[in-house]
Amino acid sequence: MTSPHNMPDADLQQLDFSRYAEQERRERRRSMWTALGFMSPAIILVSFFLLYPVAYNVYISFTRWRRFTGFDEWGGLSQYQRLLGNPNFSEAMANTIIWVGVSLVLPVAIGLFIAVMLRGQKMEETAKSIFFLPRVLAPTAAGVMWFYVYAPDGVLNSILSFFTAEPVTIGWLYNESTVTPSIIVAYLWQTVGLAMVLLLLGLAAVPKDPLEAASVEGATRWQIFRHVTLPLLLPTILVVVILSVLAGFTVFDHIWVMARDFPGKRTLSLTVYMYVEAFDRSSWAYASAIAVVLGVIVLSVTWLQVILQDRIDRMTK
Amino acid sequence: MAVDLTTLDYGVIARDEARRNRENRGVFVLMMVLSIVWLAPFYYLIVSVLKSPAEYVASHPLALPSGIMPLFANVTDAWVEARMGFGVLNSLLYGVVGAGVAVFIAIMAAHGLARYRFSGRTFWFMLIFAGTIFPFQMYLIPLFFTYLELGLLDTRIGMILFYTAICIPFPVLVMRNYLTQMSSEMDEAARMDGCSEFRLFFSIILPNCKGPFIALFLLQFTWIWNDLIFSTVLTQRVEVRSVMSTLQVFQGAYADVSQTVVMAASLLASLPTILLFFVLRRHFMQGLQVSSG
Repeated sequence: MTSPHNMPDADLQQLDFSRYAEQERRERRRSMWTALGFMSPAIILVSFFLLYPVAYNVYISFTRWRRFTGFDEWGGLSQYQRLLGNPNFSEAMANTIIWVGVSLVLPVAIGLFIAVMLRGQKMEETAKSIFFLPRVLAPTAAGVMWFYVYAPDGVLNSILSFFTAEPVTIGWLYNESTVTPSIIVAYLWQTVGLAMVLLLLGLAAVPKDPLEAASVEGATRWQIFRHVTLPLLLPTILVVVILSVLAGFTVFDHIWVMARDFPGKRTLSLTVYMYVEAFDRSSWAYASAIAVVLGVIVLSVTWLQVILQDRIDRMTK
Repeated sequence: MAVDLTTLDYGVIARDEARRNRENRGVFVLMMVLSIVWLAPFYYLIVSVLKSPAEYVASHPLALPSGIMPLFANVTDAWVEARMGFGVLNSLLYGVVGAGVAVFIAIMAAHGLARYRFSGRTFWFMLIFAGTIFPFQMYLIPLFFTYLELGLLDTRIGMILFYTAICIPFPVLVMRNYLTQMSSEMDEAARMDGCSEFRLFFSIILPNCKGPFIALFLLQFTWIWNDLIFSTVLTQRVEVRSVMSTLQVFQGAYADVSQTVVMAASLLASLPTILLFFVLRRHFMQGLQVSSG
């Protein structure tokens, strides 16, 4: 072995190395500027139209709005204190939690049911298309259609009166007790297809051997599902659950279109509450605080997903 | 003989078989009923647009129409009277330009992120990706005031700029993975021959991204077309409104307008996505896979 100290031309070599390092650094700097050149349109647009508004929204939520001075007056946490003391906020929050609860359980349950039923059936492809079809209607267009289904002289009442043999005129979208369930049904009609397709994709990845083995051993459908399919499907179910929860917290179009005539519509969800407080009542700072609360919730759910995903990945390895 | 067939209990096998058949028949009937329930709203939508306003009022909402001619009158009324024409053309413009430019910019950014080695890559990626994690409600008020100040409120260019920006982060995520997996042999060869970085991107990288470009374009076009909330907040004039807010305003503004015309308007508003679904079903399902992964 020769160490650099023993070599006659050690200095020269050191010089060479540093030149290489210098060249390498220059290369990296150059490729950084080239890369930044390619990324700059994306960085500029995203920063200006998406990130700056989010930061500005957080700032506004700590101010008080005045007609002529705008958002100059610092309000500290006063908007958040108003939120906590306002029964409308609690009601909007409660309704949103109902939405999330329903969109957490039902799309997954119905989607899983349909997906497991369809697995391996001849009509799988056809049925997949049928259940996914509502998804291709725009949420707004679907809401408009369901609005007429629920109208006092609409389709639903006419079907009901066929069974009761007397005219039924329930205002499904005008009653405190029926408005949310009615919108949820329309919402599920549109969203279950997506849950089903995702679950079927997950099922397609489940290996066939254990299923056949269980079937040969005489296990019932339920036993096979409970002990073989379900554990293998867990990662897909997690994705579907998280997507449904995030969609449930941020659902807006369906409620906005269908509950347009409902007098108490602003407490139907946090998203609608925020919109009405801002754009109908000009409580800008207060509405910003609602948006921040929504943002904190959505970020927490996303964060939870990352953690659970990580745990499941480690479990399956 | 290795297997003694006589010991197999044929009775058990037959009973098993019968049970399975019964179960399958049950599943079949259940799925038929569910499918009919699922398709009923579509049936209602279709028979409604085929009736004239007078016929709609006179008949049962689910009764079959007497002909198909009223369809044309309904669609014309929707296009002209409901001003759906403006909405459809505006949304086409927003969707094609917004999604097209956004996916192109995203591929450029992904190229920078995936195919150059430099420090701070993760930071820039996270910066762009942060654009997808916040709920839309956090954008609305600041955008409204910023647009008001800059004179972008209620303008087509303002709509296109915002739609472009919000459609960038997700394609960046997808394309970064795609371009990281693509071999870099061609780049090296091209650089050896003195190809500039600019030409390298346009002549080698971009032509290799055709497939994902189309899939991502369709996904983002559909998103822009279906958007209601941003168009409601950022536009007021009917000449600038997107198709969804035109539909929503039309349904809300004239309570006594004929339902057949509103139904025709909703059908018109959904036509591009329905066509897209039937023509490109395979692409759609792939897009789903991409967005769930």
